Amino acid sequence: MQRDKFFKEIENVRHPNETLVKTHCSYCGMQCGMNLRVNTKTNKIIGVEPRYDWPVTVGKMCPKGVTAYQQPNHDDRILKPLIRDDASLKGAKEGFREATWDEAYDLIVKNFQQLQHDYGKDSLSVYSGVSMTNEKCYLTGKFARVGLQTRYIDYNGRFCMASAAGGFMRSFGVDRGSTLPWTDLHETDCLFIAGSNTAECHPTSMFRVWAVQERGGYLIVADPRETPIARRADVHLDLRPGTDLALANGILNLLIKNGHVDEDFVNNHTNGFEETKELVKEFTPEYTSELTGVAPEKIIRAAEIYGKAPNAIVMFARGVEQQVKGVDNVSGYTNMALVTGKIGRPKAGVATFTGQGNGQGGREHGQKADALPGYRKIANPEHVKAVAKVWGIEPEEMPKEGVSAYEMFGLMEQKVIRGLYLLCSNPAVSAPNLNYVREQLKNLDFMVCADFYLSESAEFADVILPTTTWSEDEGTVTNLEGRCIKINKAQEPLGESKPDWQIHVELCERLGRGKYFSHLKTAKDVSDEFRLASKGGYADYYGITWDKIEKQDGVFWPCKDENDPGTPHMFLDKKFYHPDGKAKICALPYRPPAEEPDEKYPLRLTTGRVVYHYLSGNQTRRINFLRDMCPEPYVEVHPETAEKYNIKHEEFVRLYTRRGEAEYKVKITEAIRKDTVFVPYHFGDDKSINLLTIGALDPMSRMPEFKACAAQIEKLELKKVQ
Amino acid sequence: MKKRLYLELENCIGCRSCLAACTQCGGHEERNRNYVYDVNPLVNRQTMPLMCLHCVNPACARSCPAQAIQIHETGAVLSALVEKCIGCQNCTIACPYGIPKFDTEQNLMYKCDLCIDRTKDGSPPMCASVCPSNTLQWLTDEEIEAKQKQFNLDNGKWVTSMPYLEGETNVRVNLPGILQGVTKLF
Repeated sequence: MQRDKFFKEIENVRHPNETLVKTHCSYCGMQCGMNLRVNTKTNKIIGVEPRYDWPVTVGKMCPKGVTAYQQPNHDDRILKPLIRDDASLKGAKEGFREATWDEAYDLIVKNFQQLQHDYGKDSLSVYSGVSMTNEKCYLTGKFARVGLQTRYIDYNGRFCMASAAGGFMRSFGVDRGSTLPWTDLHETDCLFIAGSNTAECHPTSMFRVWAVQERGGYLIVADPRETPIARRADVHLDLRPGTDLALANGILNLLIKNGHVDEDFVNNHTNGFEETKELVKEFTPEYTSELTGVAPEKIIRAAEIYGKAPNAIVMFARGVEQQVKGVDNVSGYTNMALVTGKIGRPKAGVATFTGQGNGQGGREHGQKADALPGYRKIANPEHVKAVAKVWGIEPEEMPKEGVSAYEMFGLMEQKVIRGLYLLCSNPAVSAPNLNYVREQLKNLDFMVCADFYLSESAEFADVILPTTTWSEDEGTVTNLEGRCIKINKAQEPLGESKPDWQIHVELCERLGRGKYFSHLKTAKDVSDEFRLASKGGYADYYGITWDKIEKQDGVFWPCKDENDPGTPHMFLDKKFYHPDGKAKICALPYRPPAEEPDEKYPLRLTTGRVVYHYLSGNQTRRINFLRDMCPEPYVEVHPETAEKYNIKHEEFVRLYTRRGEAEYKVKITEAIRKDTVFVPYHFGDDKSINLLTIGALDPMSRMPEFKACAAQIEKLELKKVQ
Repeated sequence: MKKRLYLELENCIGCRSCLAACTQCGGHEERNRNYVYDVNPLVNRQTMPLMCLHCVNPACARSCPAQAIQIHETGAVLSALVEKCIGCQNCTIACPYGIPKFDTEQNLMYKCDLCIDRTKDGSPPMCASVCPSNTLQWLTDEEIEAKQKQFNLDNGKWVTSMPYLEGETNVRVNLPGILQGVTKLF
């Protein structure tokens, strides 16, 4: 692997009676390299050392990474299976008793079999997540379709990455989150970052972002908030939440009008240019400004910089993806790279910041309602045949396509889904329109939750199975670059906890499906089967062995066989994955958000992250340092808006939408637009902002519109606060 | 080769990794000894780290009646020696940057020791090791000199403070404004 200018040979400090275990952070898609310090006498993880030899992050870590080692031996770990005997207590922390694994398994098998006997195979569902290894993600898909034989499986990537995946699929015919390695970022001439609070959500990208500016390169940021990257950007496009597509179309119009089109590239390697050119004509700077609220001169300047840049990278994150037109937003911004030909070579391309640890790998291996391992499609009989052969089932036994994560709650309401196996996810905090979601979880006939902490969602379960943390098992994950890396085991599982893949195998054996699972005795066995199952798919991992990962500092997919070094840069041959080898420039008519402000709800509510917490906060809220830094959510309000509502800094307000209400402390800041309020989403119970967010879905990705809905703010009278 | 802590304040994103990392250094008893300030909290939330600058002639040590604050041969100004510190808090008053803190339970001052167990062997201190935004860097004098040349401003007003702020320090600080002199690529 090529070492860049940030790489320095630094020996790690070694403490007596300790070993260092090379691995990666348990949190976001950066998967920063780290060494876990393990006491050789107790075999327990006791601290962290930077991993200077990891080429992507060269020892850098955010506060979550520095404190991640405190997770495995935390007092809150669930150490034994827990059973709730009184179903009326569902939704509370209390009422669980400790049980043996046998007792828990017996109860699950009895209930699952009863439900399937009474209501059919599809009465069970699996709701999963992608903060776990490829091996676990893969086996979860097989567990649902072969073990439980249900069609209803989906995962929390629907709240995280699904729109980026949909946009890439439509534009390129393949979905790899980044068309180039992260070690290219600082070498480009212009970074166009849309809807990403990079400094807080992917902090360890920041030394590369700043390096672009230090070299004289440009940084353009599109975001409703003046985030740390927006603050230092050459152009900050401060658009209204939910209007990204208009902005993308407006910039595309200027790129075409001002002669920045790479005609050779467009003619030879793309479809759809003429149609798109026609469509974006109406998006003049003035009209775009009207829709987005961004000053026309800023739009013109951004288009000029991006157009003139010899190399540029367009990047985006949840800000543009968590909308009812998330897929269109992604394709809209991707159009900029395709029209100007700034793709398919080093230092230029398109990338999305992956939110979850294995957001990339987890969506490629069959956890999605419509997908099978290797990014194959359930709707394609050839794809089904290939996977069925590896699994040892007949193609006709393969369950049909299911529904997306949020839609599963609708089927729970209709009593189509009656049982749930929940793992690696906390929808009682992270799903939109939470009052509704929590009600559906409560009404399930039977629910199992596998987790290592008692999450807000686990409180709804009848049985909780204790799982291992990331450091007590091994396997691979795929980071935001598309680089498959290795997670190593640093200590033995605490208490009676077990890795998810092992629980799947043991449960399937008891469900009478053992012949499909019993051969999987180790994580390596699962890895070997998963490589085979992905062979020949779009996301081909067949050539990615654990040895090769070690030797090459990770391997980029596709990697077809043992001699293939993998693919750090996508489309170098200008071949895209659509049948004719061309990329698609998409003509995308603008649509407003699902819910626009009105008299009763005059503000726009948008949500996002803070640097100290990860996803629903189930893990990070328990870590002292992180909790102390950000103990509670708050609502960001512009000073002028605050004045209008007579609200002062640190006073309490009630925020409400058509779906719910909650009380928050006010943070007055000029970093937010006057017509918008922002609340971080990492908090549970009555503090969760998702009580207010809307369950409107993107028609293609089925991703909810977390980023924009109509809201009202109300000053709380003092007596109400008390 | 001697290395120094070098701060490029404009890079700070307020993530407080340096604080988290400080708690991880051996002998720091999980207490951080550095700080990150909100420069203008209600406006755009610009932040800046405040680290001990390890003055060449430190006011904290000068003011200590018990000679409890030792200066290491590398230039690092160490935390008060437990056996000598009398808890008078002169050092906390004397320091112009507000670095030494006081542990009332132990009647003892504690401050950044530049991760002396690491830096004495050439390893970067924990804060600079992890800093994701390159606000805190661990550089040789040659590298710092190159930075100074790279960012020399053409307006005749060198806004950075290198080589030192009030008195000579072992830590070099670059105040905001670093990008003012950068020539754009295109």
